[in-house]
Amino acid sequence: MKSYEYSPYDDRTQTLRQIDKYNASFRRVPASPLIPRPITLSESTGPVELPRRWNAGKLDLSRVAENGPRAVGQLIRVSGRVTDEDGSPAAGVVMEIWQANAAGKYVHAMDDHAAPLDPNFIGQGRLVTDEDGRYEAFTIKPGAYPVLYSGWWWRPPHIHFSILGLSWMNRFITQIFFPGEPLNETDLLLNGVPSGSLGNDVRERLIFEHGDTVMGDLSYINFRRDFVLRGHRRTPELA
Amino acid sequence: MKRVVSPCNTTGPYFPREFSDGNEDLTRRDGATARGEHIILAGRVLELEAKPTWNMVLEIWQADANGVYRHPLDPRSAEVDPGFWNWGRARTNQDGWYRFRTVLPGGNLRIPHINCAVLGIGLTRRLVTTIFFAGNMGAAPDPVLDCVVDPELRRRLIARRDPSLDADGAAGYGFDVILRGEGETPFFVD
Ligand SMILES: [Fe+3]
Repeated sequence: MKSYEYSPYDDRTQTLRQIDKYNASFRRVPASPLIPRPITLSESTGPVELPRRWNAGKLDLSRVAENGPRAVGQLIRVSGRVTDEDGSPAAGVVMEIWQANAAGKYVHAMDDHAAPLDPNFIGQGRLVTDEDGRYEAFTIKPGAYPVLYSGWWWRPPHIHFSILGLSWMNRFITQIFFPGEPLNETDLLLNGVPSGSLGNDVRERLIFEHGDTVMGDLSYINFRRDFVLRGHRRTPELA
Repeated sequence: MKRVVSPCNTTGPYFPREFSDGNEDLTRRDGATARGEHIILAGRVLELEAKPTWNMVLEIWQADANGVYRHPLDPRSAEVDPGFWNWGRARTNQDGWYRFRTVLPGGNLRIPHINCAVLGIGLTRRLVTTIFFAGNMGAAPDPVLDCVVDPELRRRLIARRDPSLDADGAAGYGFDVILRGEGETPFFVD
């Protein structure tokens, strides 16, 4: 088992905690400064057995039943690789994915948007990364949707990713956007990433790369996104 | 060359309820029941002006009753309680309440504690804190609790015995998470 060192997140690489017009951030982000603390065994361990708890495996969000009808929308395949800061694979970790359907509607009690549900689309599921840290899932391209509670704006198409990670410290949650979407320009959460040269790189890393198109019995478009989890290998101690 | 860590972002409002449901109970695993003292850890997650939140997600990570983590870094991991999940997740209901069933953690060189993370709308990054237990504070120092200097802030990290939360033979402990405003919960650098 590798032992990792964790540094606090570098703010230049991360989305701002408080974003102008994203009202909820001003009601929920603590006003007091965060308190520095050391990392002990308690924080550097974490839930490595979740794949077994949830029996997670392969993921196809584009239909409800195997061999059932596909959901309405553009069939896509999202894939990529999850690594740590040293580039070694985050193997066998659970990834949770959720998203709106092609009309921009979530299967969720809190979604008041007057768009139709799709009986062939649930829009959520889990998978486990392989020994090389790779993931893949078939799904449909989500639609845009309006935010009805925190100011008013339209969210561009995006897919939410949650990675349980190798330890408590590198648990990771984000959302990934599609290239070339006009609504990307005005999205509060995508543009909540700091600007500047490093900032621009950061924003890019919240957007899928448009991959190749696949033609065949199953035709779809590839979208790729790699993830880097916090944590780098501890330098081995000399005897 | 070191790679740059990916940017976190918010779960948004629609974190699937199904991802939480069933994970609030850490005390049953593979048909076995967790050893140690079963407890209910419950409370409300409140935003500014003590308004309740809905569908905020809490994740916890803790040692079993003997202080063991099911993880290769813990030298005692082979002794871990087969009936216990060290990890759990719950969500707040419309009144802001969350509720876990777990065990009182053992020490493992620290004051017994539960790591807690809050995720949800308004938070582009998770918030992390550590929950200790009244009556289980011991005399030893704790490297994390020691970082909280103000005694009032330290008090806010201690779950209190609350018999009104007792259920099914488990002793209730109350711990409200106040994200912002009066009585704000201390959170740690993540
Ligand atoms: Fe969303």
